[in-house]
Amino acid sequence: MKDSNLNILIQISDGLRSLPRIIMREFQLIFSDVGVMILIFAVPLIYPMLYSFIYYPEVVREMPIAVVDMSHSSDSRQFIRNIDATPDLKVTASSVSMEEAILMFRNRKIRGIVQIPETFSSDIALQRQTTISAYADMEFFLYYKAMLTGTSFVALETGNQIQIKNLMNSGLTGRQAEITARPLKFIDNAMANQSGGFASYGIPAALILIIQQTLIIAIGILAGTTRERHVFGTLVPLDRKRMGTFRLVAGKSTAYFTIYALLSIYMLGMIPEWFGYGQSAGFIGLVALITPFILSSIFLGLTLSVVFKNRESAMMLYLFTSIPLLFLSGIIWPISNFSTIWLLVRDIFPSSNAIFGYIKMNSLGATIFETRKEILTLWVQTGFYFLTACITYGYQVNFSEHLRGELSMHPFKEVRERIVSGQ
Amino acid sequence: MNSFITRIREVAKREVDRMSSRGLYILMVLILPILTILFFSSLLKEGVPTKMPVAIVDLDQTATSRKIARAIDVTPLSKVTEYLQSETEAMSELRTGNIYGFVILPKNLQTDIFESNQPVVSYYYQNGFLIAGGLMQNDLTLILNTLSAGINIQKREAMGQQEDYIMSQVQPIQLSTHQLFNPTASYPAYITTIILPIMLQLFILLMTVYSIGIEIKERTSREWLHLSDKSIVIALTGKLLPYTIIFFLIMMFQNFMLYKVMQIPMHSSLGWLMLGSLMFVLAYQAIGLFCVGLLPMMRHSLNLAAFYGILALTLCGFSFPIESMLPIFRYWAGGFPVRHYMHIFQSQILAGFELRYSIVSYLYLLIFLLVPLTIIRRLKSALIYQNFIENVHKT
Repeated sequence: MKDSNLNILIQISDGLRSLPRIIMREFQLIFSDVGVMILIFAVPLIYPMLYSFIYYPEVVREMPIAVVDMSHSSDSRQFIRNIDATPDLKVTASSVSMEEAILMFRNRKIRGIVQIPETFSSDIALQRQTTISAYADMEFFLYYKAMLTGTSFVALETGNQIQIKNLMNSGLTGRQAEITARPLKFIDNAMANQSGGFASYGIPAALILIIQQTLIIAIGILAGTTRERHVFGTLVPLDRKRMGTFRLVAGKSTAYFTIYALLSIYMLGMIPEWFGYGQSAGFIGLVALITPFILSSIFLGLTLSVVFKNRESAMMLYLFTSIPLLFLSGIIWPISNFSTIWLLVRDIFPSSNAIFGYIKMNSLGATIFETRKEILTLWVQTGFYFLTACITYGYQVNFSEHLRGELSMHPFKEVRERIVSGQ
Repeated sequence: MNSFITRIREVAKREVDRMSSRGLYILMVLILPILTILFFSSLLKEGVPTKMPVAIVDLDQTATSRKIARAIDVTPLSKVTEYLQSETEAMSELRTGNIYGFVILPKNLQTDIFESNQPVVSYYYQNGFLIAGGLMQNDLTLILNTLSAGINIQKREAMGQQEDYIMSQVQPIQLSTHQLFNPTASYPAYITTIILPIMLQLFILLMTVYSIGIEIKERTSREWLHLSDKSIVIALTGKLLPYTIIFFLIMMFQNFMLYKVMQIPMHSSLGWLMLGSLMFVLAYQAIGLFCVGLLPMMRHSLNLAAFYGILALTLCGFSFPIESMLPIFRYWAGGFPVRHYMHIFQSQILAGFELRYSIVSYLYLLIFLLVPLTIIRRLKSALIYQNFIENVHKT
């Protein structure tokens, strides 16, 4: 009893002493590998910049449309001027026929068509309801949205003015007429992304996803490379001294965590500030969310790394998940419409909850308490993947140990000959 | 000529043998592409999001306010999941992510309506998500405007006005919106038709780089070239042909899922669809070939292919329109075959326009096939001299 207690103590002190060595070795591995350096440093530094510049205009403004004006009246001309004045739309061709407009659409000169009926002016004069037709391009959600927002705004406003004018003609005062026309007043409050800028939708998610994906691929590449460099294809070196599982996992994780904690300051702190994305989150809130996120990503990466037999395996087999993961996070397609199976798959990857949590904190100003579900899930993932990482690495350590035992039975010369002959 | 074909067949046979030797090949050319096709067609199978959770803060608690709450609940897009006491509470629920939006019905709403005091109704929605935010805004604006018009109509009816007259007064200008071409197709369908080729190009690019890079890395390139009679053309044709066939078949399976299973309307003939798909596969094989020729060390060429492949999602212009980007990115976007394929798809397949509107895109796809010519000599020398191999000290 006393003996085993002593043993554990020796193991722990041994582990603590070899921990710095393992951390330094991992740093050495990372910094001596150009491919991994590019992945860990160049990608997180350059991609957020690149995306921000690509989406720089942020919103669709002045989308070109054609107006088929069959009324040719001062009323219809005013209506066209009003459409042109909206920030969303720009009338590049008016007084064309429908055939001409469709031809322009096919040639992609315009992205939508508004048709004003022949009776437009007389309908208004005779107080009859008139119908404006808007033909929208469904290929791009943003085009469709611009068309709908612009035309319905002008139709509503013009209609409202006509109604008020009619009411005032029938003897009401201006104020009375306005209230009759609009019994209710509305205030439209867009939360999180007030201007509806496209970069503000996509970039926060991309930032989080880049952290997770580069981490997992980098860990996979290094694991594959290690296997290629070891004569027997083992993940754990055949050192004379036994490498404890726990100190291996802890040592490697410390190295990655240090690098990514620093990168996060740039990606999640500086980039949003430079490009003006939401930044309502406090430092402590972000730390509470990002710490379990980086940890769970590292442990998931270590767990997955055992399946990557070669250097290129990780890039080949894992990179493609980036695009499905973006959809699984729920920023494009609302998660309230996910089927159960995809909700379960969604919870496998730390990025899903981290993206949600980050958007909530950064754009809506959610507190740690309001983000508790995401933070808790990330800690559960951290714990779970820590266990799986320990199990898989424990297996690898035992395998190396076993192999070393086998080898020590044979004379050194024989082993060397067998290696040279490639068996 | 005959020996030419025999050689190609032999190289192709060698490649098929290599493919069956490692699990990675099967995963990359069959299992993962098919899984992603199934993933996206299952995730986005519904046309429009339905029943998105919203909350009502009813500070009035009258017949009128309850009527408004019910009207919001029955719209197909939103579903009232919570009735809350205060704006603070609702805001917290929105931040927590339990609801996508909420409406505040103010105190004295009913009285104010009757006394013509024009009460103010505020609504809030989560605009941090592109589709959910846009739809939520449209839905809430529409339903509240309808309700407001309803009150106007009721008052006028009480005054004894005629129904036709009321409509002409309340809504003098009606807006009817139509979708140009293919009114049946839904937005998720559009996303799927673009996302699937983007996924496939990643697999084609990486696989092309790998299949050639691995020969350099494992020093088997001389044997490969020797079998091809020292002709780089035979070597590459024989090697890439099996992948062309497989990826073309995957692409046709993808088309089958899109146009038969998901029922996206297809207005071009099967022949054009096959031609477009084949050119898409070839164009990406050409770019993969260019990557590995430019950087024969596989670790670098894989990085290059990955960087390029992932950017396609952003620069093909389906998320954010190319025309609204800065000029430099507009030109850059032309360097992605998927952009031209998307153009063909939208113009010829989906809208059913004549060939002359998409012929330029076919020509662009052809141009990509010429790109590898710039590196073919460099690649051949790398295969012969094997001078791009890192020295590994095994321990």
